[in-house]
Amino acid sequence: MLRHLRRLSTCTPSAQLLPKRSLSTSQFLSEKALPPRLKLLDADITISYLKGTGPGGQKINKTNSAVQVIHKPTGIVVKSQATRSQSQNEKIARQLLADKVEQLLKGDESRAALKAERERKKKASRAKKSRRKYRELEEKKGVESGGWKGEVDGEGLRGGEGKPQDGDYVVEVK
Amino acid sequence: MPRIPTRLIVEAYQHDALLPLLLRECRTLDSAKHELRWLREHALRVKSEATPHFSRTLLRTMCVARSKGIPLQYILGDQPFGDLDIKCTRGVLIPRQETETITYHAAKLILDKLSKDGGGGIDKNRPLRIIDLCTGTGCIPLLLHSLLSPHFPKITITGIDISTVAIGLARENRERNVRLGLLSKRALTDVNFQHGNVLEYADHTSALNKVFQDVRVPPSPHLDLGCDVIISNPPYISPQDYRNGTTSRSVRMFEPKLALVPPEESSTPLLGERNFQIEDLFYYHIAAIIAKCMVRLTVLECGSRLQAMRVATLCRNILQKRSETSGATISVWSVTGVDTHPYAVLIQMSLNNKGPCQGQQR
Repeated sequence: MLRHLRRLSTCTPSAQLLPKRSLSTSQFLSEKALPPRLKLLDADITISYLKGTGPGGQKINKTNSAVQVIHKPTGIVVKSQATRSQSQNEKIARQLLADKVEQLLKGDESRAALKAERERKKKASRAKKSRRKYRELEEKKGVESGGWKGEVDGEGLRGGEGKPQDGDYVVEVK
Repeated sequence: MPRIPTRLIVEAYQHDALLPLLLRECRTLDSAKHELRWLREHALRVKSEATPHFSRTLLRTMCVARSKGIPLQYILGDQPFGDLDIKCTRGVLIPRQETETITYHAAKLILDKLSKDGGGGIDKNRPLRIIDLCTGTGCIPLLLHSLLSPHFPKITITGIDISTVAIGLARENRERNVRLGLLSKRALTDVNFQHGNVLEYADHTSALNKVFQDVRVPPSPHLDLGCDVIISNPPYISPQDYRNGTTSRSVRMFEPKLALVPPEESSTPLLGERNFQIEDLFYYHIAAIIAKCMVRLTVLECGSRLQAMRVATLCRNILQKRSETSGATISVWSVTGVDTHPYAVLIQMSLNNKGPCQGQQR
């Protein structure tokens, strides 16, 4: 429980934004801060809003607030249409573009690649832990059901092996 | 309007049973999907006290309303404008994204030209005075305040509109954004909205004239009382364009005509003017105000490149009539680079320079 809480408060940036106070003030040792996002020069990018011909302005009421950002030196184009807000879309597009440009420049050393790698490791570790847990459970189950079988052996098989439900079993062990 | 191909309707239906409804207004699958997502998010947000069944019914009702052409912003009740959240109700024009871009540009110009570090040198004891004509939801004054208030210790922004519904909504938006924490508390005193008719400026008893009374420059060179900035997004659609299908059906049916088309009956005194077009009516009146008040920066939204060029010319003609204002620099600024999309006419007046009037085009 404690570990869970702490993880929540240190790992995800969204959780950090919440006014919750974490239990520990020190950072997780394994959580090295990611390198800062690449800052793109304003002169290097072109931002374009609402493409298309035909009338605009008061004559029509567009709900499409797509923003397209182009990084001129590399030619990377990023488009965002996630929200109704143009300024929000612009922020998102700029961030995506910065990540992409960085990835192109630094490859595996880039922030996005590091983040993906970290995520992959975490996932692998979770999978490993869960595998280990179920393996242990399986072993324990094997031992206990064996003992139970032995005990009732003399009286004959009344319930059979399937009697204790799997779910119940797990709860009991805990 | 071309028919939607059956194939597209089937494709939309396979994606979501509600999509064909939205397709009627959105016309493309992509935008229909986006709108469905926003509507769904809204339905889930308001469900709090109700059952999931209720939110499903609500979503369906909203999709049906949208298929009839009711603007998405009236259904959802708001529209993002910069970092602000502007409430939208029937009877008041929905803020457009081009207006947002123009407002950002205007804020940049004000910071460059009028702030102390920009060399414009505004007296410390005097607030920066901005007037927004035809303010509608109040989006422009509120966004300008949020962008400028960190740089100016004193600032006064007045929004003027002929519609009392709009004035009420604008005040509501001011309170709403302060409550949401999107605007500083200063906005409650710095930004105010008043009822007035731009076309009645010449009439000395009109409400608008009272607003300008304390702004008006006395004939002496003491220009300290002058209004610094006028920004406006007046009605600029011609009666022909309103009828001939250029203006979308949804806008015609659900948004107020008052905010879109200048009144034909008020244009009679100007009919003798050369190249006069009814859709430019408001710009003649605004140019007269600029000339009278010695406004240092004016930003006017126009419907197209053609209109912007016409407005630039008419402003030049009006400003040239007075020697004090003949030094104005008039330029045209494009929002998207497309000729049929809005353009802004920028008029800058340097108060010392009395050179000949220049027309500049970017």
